[in-house]
Amino acid sequence: MLSYIAKRLAIAVPTLLLLIIISFLLMHAAPGGPFTQERALPPQVLANLEAKYGLDQPLWRQMATYVWGIVSDFDFGPSFIYKDRTVNEIIAQGFPVTLTYGSLSFVLAVAVGVTLGVFAAIWHNSWLDYLAVGISIGAQVLPNFVMAPILVLVFTLWLRWLPGGGWEGGAWQYIVMPVIALSTSFMASIARITRSSMLEVLNSNHIRTARAKGLPERKVILRHALKPAMLPVISYLGPAFVTMITGSVVVDIYFSTGGIGKSFVDSALNRDYAVMMGVTILVGALTILFNLVVDILYAWIDPKIRY
Amino acid sequence: MMNKLLLTTVLSLGLALPAFAATPQAGETLAENQDYTYWLLDAIKSMDPQINTDVEGSGVLRALFEGLYNEDQTGGLVPGVATSYELSDDKTVYTFHLRDNAKWSNGDPVTAGDFVYAWKRLADPATASEYAWYMELMQVKNASKIIAGEAPVDDLGVTAPDDYTLQVTIEAPLPYFPKMLTHASVFPVNQKAIEQFGDKWTEAGNLVGNGAYVLKEHILGEKVVMEPNPLYWDNEHTILQKVTALTINDENAALTRYLAGELDRVQIPAGQYPRLKAEYPDQAISVPQSCSYIYMFNLDEAKGPEALKDVRVRKALSYGIDRDIIVNNILQGGQAPSYNWTHAATEGFKMPDIDYSHWTQEERTAKAKELLAEAGYGPDKPLELTLNYNTSEAHKKIAIAVQQFWKGIGVNLTLNNMEWKVHTDKMQNQDFEIARYAWCGDYNEASTYLDLFTSYSGHNNGKFFSEEYDKLMKDSKTAADPAPLYQEAEQILADEMPFAPIYQYTKVEMIKPDIKGAGLTNLMQNWYLKDMYRVAN
Repeated sequence: MLSYIAKRLAIAVPTLLLLIIISFLLMHAAPGGPFTQERALPPQVLANLEAKYGLDQPLWRQMATYVWGIVSDFDFGPSFIYKDRTVNEIIAQGFPVTLTYGSLSFVLAVAVGVTLGVFAAIWHNSWLDYLAVGISIGAQVLPNFVMAPILVLVFTLWLRWLPGGGWEGGAWQYIVMPVIALSTSFMASIARITRSSMLEVLNSNHIRTARAKGLPERKVILRHALKPAMLPVISYLGPAFVTMITGSVVVDIYFSTGGIGKSFVDSALNRDYAVMMGVTILVGALTILFNLVVDILYAWIDPKIRY
Repeated sequence: MMNKLLLTTVLSLGLALPAFAATPQAGETLAENQDYTYWLLDAIKSMDPQINTDVEGSGVLRALFEGLYNEDQTGGLVPGVATSYELSDDKTVYTFHLRDNAKWSNGDPVTAGDFVYAWKRLADPATASEYAWYMELMQVKNASKIIAGEAPVDDLGVTAPDDYTLQVTIEAPLPYFPKMLTHASVFPVNQKAIEQFGDKWTEAGNLVGNGAYVLKEHILGEKVVMEPNPLYWDNEHTILQKVTALTINDENAALTRYLAGELDRVQIPAGQYPRLKAEYPDQAISVPQSCSYIYMFNLDEAKGPEALKDVRVRKALSYGIDRDIIVNNILQGGQAPSYNWTHAATEGFKMPDIDYSHWTQEERTAKAKELLAEAGYGPDKPLELTLNYNTSEAHKKIAIAVQQFWKGIGVNLTLNNMEWKVHTDKMQNQDFEIARYAWCGDYNEASTYLDLFTSYSGHNNGKFFSEEYDKLMKDSKTAADPAPLYQEAEQILADEMPFAPIYQYTKVEMIKPDIKGAGLTNLMQNWYLKDMYRVAN
């Protein structure tokens, strides 16, 4: 097992490097640059800027300098647009925000999603099943860019219960709406996956055996059905967790949380090369890490899987 | 006290006298609550005066720093750190006299040396400021050479004969030079703080300013908090006690939060002004703003389309646009239909008599068809053109409307929507036929617009060249009264039509009625927090 983990981590290094190279090239291939603006800069001013940020160097050298900065000093460079900040600072400020509301959304989505899915499967084709399926489809088709304004309209403008946005160091009033807006569609997916997986497990041989030997239904479900039913859910949860903790553009923009989610779109549109690379590497590394976590969980849950 | 009373009376008569600070008018009572929260569309990119490039950033910088001069409620110059200046007989040396009671927020006196340091820093290639060209625009001696690395920074034409005298030498007379001094990029900075904290000097706690406010907190993308600077020379007249700027990237979300009472001032999204004006007549405002919206034609020798080289075609295209429909039915925010380039409300600008601005749209359309026929286009040979515009609801609506207008005169327009950076990149490389463009004045004087169409301007993306035009603009720099020359220049633009003017901007906002002193009558829409206050309802 340990050697398996070591091997996977070793593969992660070239994977990340490949990710860096491809993103770097794609980014530089897009027309315009960080200093392209409505008022074209005089050539001399532009040259001074490019010299300062090393953009006058050949592409391969820029990339080498960039990778070396990360390896030697864990330095992801300066932002070309938010010039008072470095990429490290931007991520250090924005990531804890999305990590907070993302983790809470994850917990909420898993708790509600799994519960709904399990109940729907147990009382298959009953009113409860229809209700659960109805809720999850409703949540799925209501995208968060529709959900967010509706939440603000109801809780801020009509009821005046919650502030319409901001973060204030993560006070609870500011977290409620981002969490609801972010978690609903994940909740819906988790409920649907849980339900269908549970249905399949409940019809399998070992459950029939368990019931035949007279185990109470509660024990059958909790001890024998739930664990194997969770396998497909877990493989969905790994990437979903990464998506949630790295935030959502819609949530960050609509609720002005100052999270890192907005940086994805912003940095791409601004051609803020260093920030763009920083967030790409962050998501890449987290994805590799949590795919590994999922695989380890698999082995723990399913005795048939051994590495 | 006497002085202030006099000032209040004069101001209430509507005369522009130097307003040194927030001056409640006769009969106004100040509110108990003097907190103010306003909206930022985007995070502040830099709080370094020489690095900032944004309108949002400039607003904050005008509170944290103070330049030689400030602007009053109508945009007129009022003393800042400078109290007066003299101009040499050849109009190239300005001598500014600085007040001796101005202090930095760390207690140091503000001296002429601080300005010299800041201005050199702006021009220095090592700073790599995007606004380094502002020094060139101001024609400060040797600025161009320094930026190009051909002269040492110390050659810049700015010196401090003593602590309270600043001398600036410019390369040629520039009538509007003093107006350029209110720009944030020429604010002084504190050398000691910059050398001590390096790149981190703009963080709250490190930042040393000389403005009426100090930075308490800056969370990127969330908020900026400012409080009065007790060391500011005129702090006794500062009224707002806590100012918060919230970043909200979605203008509809910002409006909702305004309506929920979380903000005191926001922008109204396009098309929503009439509804809000009806519902909140005392809060929805529309005031002129110094920007001009046009469709630029590519006249480049090699890359411009053949058809646009014919002035008859360019005129036909411009005549074919029904600007009234665009401002009244699409924008709906009190914008003015435009038949020229310079914003009509620009100080000292006299609108020339542009023929087609008086015609009815029927007359314009008829003339457009006639001109196109003369140029050889008609039903059997329709004119095919492409319009580039960047992603935005309003740009799209206008583009679709223009497509319809031009269809009526026999022109097939293909719309080409692209992301902002791509649009800009293509424009600057002359990879377009017609492109949406807008320009906002740097200062309140017509040359900020008209210089753009000179052959030596770096922003003349459509590559319009006219020797006569260049000469007029060069002459205007030394003319006793440049207004007639500007009129002639506008007339050339109307005759040559290197672009189709569309509309002139207004600032359309919701602002709480108890907020006063927000500089709404200043065409540049520059406001100073130190001039603002809340009145009791």
